[in-house]
Amino acid sequence: MNPMNTASHPQQRQFNPYTENGGTILAIAGLDFSVIAGDTRQSEGYNIQTRYAPKVFRLTDRAVLAVNGFAADGNMFVKKVKQRLEWYRHAHAKDMPLHAIARLIQTMLYARRFFPYYVYNILGGIEDDGSGAVYSFDPVGSYERETCRAAGAAQSLVQPFLDNQIYFKNQQPALGTSHPAHLPLPQVLRLVIDSFTGATERHIEVGDGLEMFVVLAKGHDLAGLEGIAGLQEMSTKSDGERIFVIRRELKKD
Amino acid sequence: MDHFPGNWGRLRNDDYDAYGTFPIPHRPSNAPKDTFSEGVQRTQQPIVTGTSVLAIKFKDGILMAADNLASYGSLARFKDVQRLRPVGDYTVIGAGGDMSDFQYIQSLLDDLVVEEFTSQDGHNLGPKEIHEYLSQVMYGRRTKINPLWNSILVGGLKDGQRFLAYVDLLGTTYSADTLATGYGAYIAQPLLRRAVEGRADTLTEEEAAKILEDCMRVLFYRDARSLNKYQIATITASGVSISDSKALETSWEFAEGIRGYGAQTQ
Amino acid sequence: MTSIGTGYDLSASTYSPDGRIFQVEYANKAVENSGTIIGLRVKDGVVIAVENLVHSKLLVPGANRRIQTVDRHMGLASAGFLADGRHIANRAREEAGNHRDTYRSPPTLKTIAGRLGLYIQAYTLYSSVRPFGISTVVGAVDKDGPALYVIEPSGVFYGYHGAAVGKGRQLAKTELEKLNLAEMSTREAVTEAARIVYAVHEDNKEKEFELEMSWIGDETKGLFIPVPKDLKEEAERKAKEAIEGDFE
Repeated sequence: MNPMNTASHPQQRQFNPYTENGGTILAIAGLDFSVIAGDTRQSEGYNIQTRYAPKVFRLTDRAVLAVNGFAADGNMFVKKVKQRLEWYRHAHAKDMPLHAIARLIQTMLYARRFFPYYVYNILGGIEDDGSGAVYSFDPVGSYERETCRAAGAAQSLVQPFLDNQIYFKNQQPALGTSHPAHLPLPQVLRLVIDSFTGATERHIEVGDGLEMFVVLAKGHDLAGLEGIAGLQEMSTKSDGERIFVIRRELKKD
Repeated sequence: MDHFPGNWGRLRNDDYDAYGTFPIPHRPSNAPKDTFSEGVQRTQQPIVTGTSVLAIKFKDGILMAADNLASYGSLARFKDVQRLRPVGDYTVIGAGGDMSDFQYIQSLLDDLVVEEFTSQDGHNLGPKEIHEYLSQVMYGRRTKINPLWNSILVGGLKDGQRFLAYVDLLGTTYSADTLATGYGAYIAQPLLRRAVEGRADTLTEEEAAKILEDCMRVLFYRDARSLNKYQIATITASGVSISDSKALETSWEFAEGIRGYGAQTQ
Repeated sequence: MTSIGTGYDLSASTYSPDGRIFQVEYANKAVENSGTIIGLRVKDGVVIAVENLVHSKLLVPGANRRIQTVDRHMGLASAGFLADGRHIANRAREEAGNHRDTYRSPPTLKTIAGRLGLYIQAYTLYSSVRPFGISTVVGAVDKDGPALYVIEPSGVFYGYHGAAVGKGRQLAKTELEKLNLAEMSTREAVTEAARIVYAVHEDNKEKEFELEMSWIGDETKGLFIPVPKDLKEEAERKAKEAIEGDFE
């Protein structure tokens, strides 16, 4: 059959409003802190579009949102969440609590159930009771609170590593000992860095740069953060929860 | 980024359009196909298209380049088209993809600039504002499944700040020291990165112009929808200027030595 | 005021027996008491100057501008009810924008003045609305060169070489007639405009005022913009000298 003759088998050509922009995000909750991280590469297919496009955003002094998937949807979604949080601040003269932000994100995602924001969200921060928390979402708003979660292109590489190192899956504690329920901040940071260097090695869509946001509960000491390379404080006040970013290079190949 | 704007936003189908000639034999039909498909048809395909746009940062600002061709499928239809346009006093935009959509975007931006001018409030639109506006327009249209079929570079300099960013028909945005749309994303971007990355703050205008010229030449050699006639836009603290069309020097002697295909048998 | 008590002045939709529409004439009264506005159409451009009466010392100097921009190459100033003036400026911007969208070219002043004339005239037809209490001086340099029009509350509009509306219009017109506008450069016109506004104000002598001037010409790259600070100060200095010269 003549391949140019389409009359015999009509075809529907349709505009596809989505694409995938690669990258990976990850968050881990500690007892009284949380770490939310993402690489900074943005890609489409085999093209690296840019080596620096942030995927992790400070929402309030105790909430950080990581967004992964279709970058245009992600940026628009973050913009709208930030706008809702600003309205909340104007109405109530305080920042929205973390669990409320989590529910807000569910509602906003589900509102687009039949034309979804093609993004995986991970929300990390500090709850009202001072505990570190991580919430993870699917694109249409299903969510749960967890201790750790990886999402994005290298989810299948990073999540099993986290399951093993944080939930101690497939590990036997030494006789007479038990696995710790929460890890200290320096060890969590080491795990995050290892996760991303590992994902960078094995996944072509991960690399270029790493941004790790650390949220510390009120009154928490710096817990080993002092003097760490590439540290920058993002909090607006020093007597509440505090937010820091740590920026690291990842391989660019 | 797919080089063929006709394939953007959908899977490539060689059975359907092996030689990229879709505009002529496969014009979209707006007639109702059956009793159920009445209504506005808005999913579209680009018709008259422009190819790559390149841009880099240099010491004193931004340099952008695009050729003067607007293609009709594989036909080189219009050979004196300006794909780089100034917007306001600090910005240049360059577009690939559908040229009628680009002209529409220009009129949107012109309306915007006039509106800002008439308010006489002491504020001027810079490249950041124009890119944000364009991003919202492009994302808004993709969300209505009625996209403006372009990939656009926005470059400029205002208050000593250089700005260079991309936006396309999906509303995808990003920013970098070197940017290339269309086929240029495959062929020119690696060359640009090798020449510019880490040197954006030291490159002179002459060096930057040479880099772009070399890339435009490589694109003309390799991209069948390109033209050896192009323009360069310069944005520095002294303002925006878009050059007259320049011709690319090319040499095809190497073709003489090629053996083994076509009519040439030994 | 022969019209009062006859009943023919209550609505713009009713003529008086001798063929007048009193509501429109009253609208003209609103214009006559306003600060003076003059427009000069010269060889390469247009200057619009406003005697901006300052009714309170609490106002921020330089804020509350009376000259408004319609398009890149076009601007206007209205004498009379300022709120009506703002409304008509917005209408003018809409008309200019629509023209650009339809024809992909900047409008001529003649088209915009015509559209504004029709719009204002429509408000002289119905008992449910009141006519505009403004006379609007519009200026531009378009494809046909410099142009200057005045649109009155009735909706009529005329093109001028030199125009004056508001309180000091009589003296201003006398002064404008002495000038060779067709041969004058826009830069010279700025100086003359400042002189006339100062002279007119001196004649009435009441509240404080701020001079406000915008221009378009060969020197402004096709843009209707406020006259630059140094040129305006120079023109004001000369204007004050001229007034003092008259007294000696």
